Amino acid sequence: MQINWADTSFLLAPEILLTVGALIVLVLDLLIEDDTSPVLPGFTLLALVSAFGAAAAHLVTGVDDVALFMFAADPLTHFFRLLGIGTALLVLLVSVNYVQARSKHTGEFYSLLLWVTLAVVLVAGAHDLILLYLAFEFLSITSYVLVGWLRDDARSNEGAMKYLLFGAISSALMLYGMSLLYGATGTTRLTEIAAFFTIPETQITGLYSIVVPALVFLLAGIGFKISLVPFHQWAPDAYEGAPTPVAAFLSVGSKSAGFAVLARVLLEAMPAFQEHWTSLLVVLSILTMTLGNLVALRQTNMKRLLAYSSIAQAGYILMGLAAYSAGATFPADGLSGVLIYLVAYLFTNVGVFIGAVIFEQATGSVAISDYAGLIRRSPWLAFTFVVFFLSLAGLPPTAGFVGKLAVFYATVAKGLYFLAIIGVLNSVVSVYYYFNVIRQMFFMPAPEGAERVRMPASMGLALAISFVGTLLIGFYPEPFLNLANMSRDFISALPLL
Amino acid sequence: MLADFIETIVKILVVVVVLLTGFAYMTWFERRVIARLQVRIGPNRVGPEGLLQPLADGVKLFFKEDIIPAEADKALYLLAPMLAVVPSLLAAAVLPFGPDVTLFGRTIHLYIADINIALLYFLGLGSLGVYSVVLAGWASNNKYALLGGLRASAQMISYELAMGLSVLAVVMLTGSFSLVDIVEAQAGGRWFVLMQPLAFIIFVITMLAETKRAPFDLPEAEQELVAGFHTEYSGMKFALFYMGEYIGMIVISGVAVSLFLGGWQGPFAEQIPLLGVLYFFLKVAVFMFFFVWMRATLPRLRYDRLMQLGWKVLLPLSLANVVVTALAVVARDTGFFGLLG
Amino acid sequence: MSGAELFFYVLAVLAITSALAMIFTPRPVYAVLFMVVNFVAVALLYLQLEAPFLAAVQVLVYAGAIMVLFLFVVMLMGPAPAPLWEHIPAQRPLALLFAVGLLGALATAIRKGAFTPLTGTMSSAIATAGGQSQALAEHLYNRYLLPFELTSLILLVGIVGAVVLARLPRQKNPTTD
Repeated sequence: MQINWADTSFLLAPEILLTVGALIVLVLDLLIEDDTSPVLPGFTLLALVSAFGAAAAHLVTGVDDVALFMFAADPLTHFFRLLGIGTALLVLLVSVNYVQARSKHTGEFYSLLLWVTLAVVLVAGAHDLILLYLAFEFLSITSYVLVGWLRDDARSNEGAMKYLLFGAISSALMLYGMSLLYGATGTTRLTEIAAFFTIPETQITGLYSIVVPALVFLLAGIGFKISLVPFHQWAPDAYEGAPTPVAAFLSVGSKSAGFAVLARVLLEAMPAFQEHWTSLLVVLSILTMTLGNLVALRQTNMKRLLAYSSIAQAGYILMGLAAYSAGATFPADGLSGVLIYLVAYLFTNVGVFIGAVIFEQATGSVAISDYAGLIRRSPWLAFTFVVFFLSLAGLPPTAGFVGKLAVFYATVAKGLYFLAIIGVLNSVVSVYYYFNVIRQMFFMPAPEGAERVRMPASMGLALAISFVGTLLIGFYPEPFLNLANMSRDFISALPLL
Repeated sequence: MLADFIETIVKILVVVVVLLTGFAYMTWFERRVIARLQVRIGPNRVGPEGLLQPLADGVKLFFKEDIIPAEADKALYLLAPMLAVVPSLLAAAVLPFGPDVTLFGRTIHLYIADINIALLYFLGLGSLGVYSVVLAGWASNNKYALLGGLRASAQMISYELAMGLSVLAVVMLTGSFSLVDIVEAQAGGRWFVLMQPLAFIIFVITMLAETKRAPFDLPEAEQELVAGFHTEYSGMKFALFYMGEYIGMIVISGVAVSLFLGGWQGPFAEQIPLLGVLYFFLKVAVFMFFFVWMRATLPRLRYDRLMQLGWKVLLPLSLANVVVTALAVVARDTGFFGLLG
Repeated sequence: MSGAELFFYVLAVLAITSALAMIFTPRPVYAVLFMVVNFVAVALLYLQLEAPFLAAVQVLVYAGAIMVLFLFVVMLMGPAPAPLWEHIPAQRPLALLFAVGLLGALATAIRKGAFTPLTGTMSSAIATAGGQSQALAEHLYNRYLLPFELTSLILLVGIVGAVVLARLPRQKNPTTD
């Protein structure tokens, strides 16, 4: 068993770039006295862009191999690499001014941002339960720190504490699940677990009493990351307390990592139990989107509204996994619907959070009632908000429509009509609260003497990217559909032993 | 099987008796040597040269009134002195104190146990020893005792890291955690102190700190804390703390000798096993003298200096030493250059 | 009952009772000490499972270092016993329900499940590598290199986070030492 270092460093290029970048940022922070120096964010940007480039090169050249015995550098990983690093890029653009205004430890913030991105990427590629668990913990711990970053803000502390307590319990549950799975199969490798379960039907029933609890425990752990109901309670408080750019990252980057794990564990390791997990996913999906939407109706705080909205969105995305069918053609297979939805969700949800950051940075408020008359204070910001909310509600001609269409198509193709109907009903409900915000912006008068909302250039750029992305997928979805089609392949090489 | 069992029991008894006697005479030795260094005479009245002094002290302590403070936590107050002695005694199990001897046709190893992880076992027991000090300090319900206990725990944890890392360098050179293997690797005078002088120095410094001996005796700094963590203890419980401290010194010296000074190795030790035992005890005695000498010579460190020394000097140095040793070991194993043989 | 079984049951009972005692004792210092007892009992169980390295590390790291720090903090909090339960309505019965449910699920899984015995034995793997620590090292630095390195990153992030979140704001006139 020899490690080939050339191959390894090639396959792990994005991860190595992120790690080294984070370490250099940490050291640079020691050397540079000035906390507002552009060197730190500049270097962070460089690390992210180079890692993004490496991941894109892997995807385009179709790299499909195993690094260090347990990291799958396959198309699915490349996709989630791009997604995670892309989220981090947008978040970095809005973080610079936000963090400088609120915290003294900017250098540590950038390095943690790189590390949380690394965690997303590692989670997505983890091909062994041990690495999976560690990467998951890495993601959690970096997230706890980032959520509690505003140490003088009691809500930030509260959010971090709740996140930590929920995270500790759910990761313990996940470990139970993993240990049961290991006990049943005698291996921690996902492909080997799948291979073990290709035994005759009669023998597999003897395993139900282990695998079903294992499945439930695993779902609890992963569901926590995706904030599925009933493992979602941390999300509103954490999102509300976290620095808003961090909330944006949690709602997209960390959530997509959860979906990557779910896809790997369920579709790759446990296809033999598909009927079991499908019914679980259907129930979770219905609970998640219904509760998310209903509670969102009553929110008065923008960040909490977005938190519940992103809980509901997770429910829609989960429909795709519930509708997974291995042999189906392109958009009907479910997984590709999930991937398209995630891309759309990246631009839309990060975009809406960026809008909220800009508003918060200019006015210091996160209350929805303060958005009144935004059309007069910043027409451009108000207009982008409309597009993002249209996309979140799943209306054409936006990205969200394409994503939802793909997921619903797969659900119907699988014959899960009930789930599809609930999904449609929920989308209708969501329109109400999204448009409530739009109503505030357009039809309510602005408070007396309200100034124009100004945005720093970097935030404007991030907003523009998300805006263009959201509309581009809506009008011209082909390249993104192709991307999803390319990325839905799991690892084909078997890990060396 | 039965013979093995009896052999082990006998060895345990011998080691325990030697350690307890060693403890008793160490108190005499320390007082005499310090007196000499300070141009005094020291205890010389009880028996020839004061040799019966430890016995007299023991008798006195046995008959002292045993006081438990009213507000003390009784259970932990009783537990703490026991915890002071037990880990030190247990740690002696992995010390090889001589080469194999043949007696009545049986080969007898002069160690109680050769376990694969002897050094980790030793470090683990050392880290458990902290509890006696911390609990004594807390259970006494006395502010001086509590402060002493807190100081002790901070100090021992800080220096444990550097100690573990300095030991690691020797482990890397031999490829084994077993003290028996490490001693054997130093056959023919290839003592590790020659190859690892830095690790040796770090180990000796941390050894003083781990046993809470001067100049690192802050947990019981009498000018500031009366007697530190054992302020409230009297009678045999008080004696147990001393027993723990001195046995700890003897055992840790034994480990230092085995790690860096070739253990029982020496001229003709293989041929005449008892010579090996003698070498071992002489080397340990040198360390014991060193302990006393340091106490008589060096002033106590200030608390912040103590922490700085541990974290900012010893820890980075021992880490660097590990890195350099690792490179050297790789170079040796791959034949990169023939310097290290 | 063989000696090994007796040893196991004594340790198992010790581990479980100390864990329960740790939860139910109202005094923080005792809770920490029961946890130490629990760690030592678990370490001895590792020893019985032919994993002396793990046992030593368990004692060294958990009982010897981490719990001492716990004790340090708990002692600084003072001798007053903390209230045992927070009074959120229905929390205790619900928690009990879920705990019993979890126990039931795990117990059924373990009783009824067909577990797969591992191929090869620990002793043979150790013999090939030439020792427990050697066998462990070979796995750690080859097959498990990635998780191993990731662990160091996790610890680094933990330190960075602790420094950032817990460090007192810099004073204008730092006290000289």
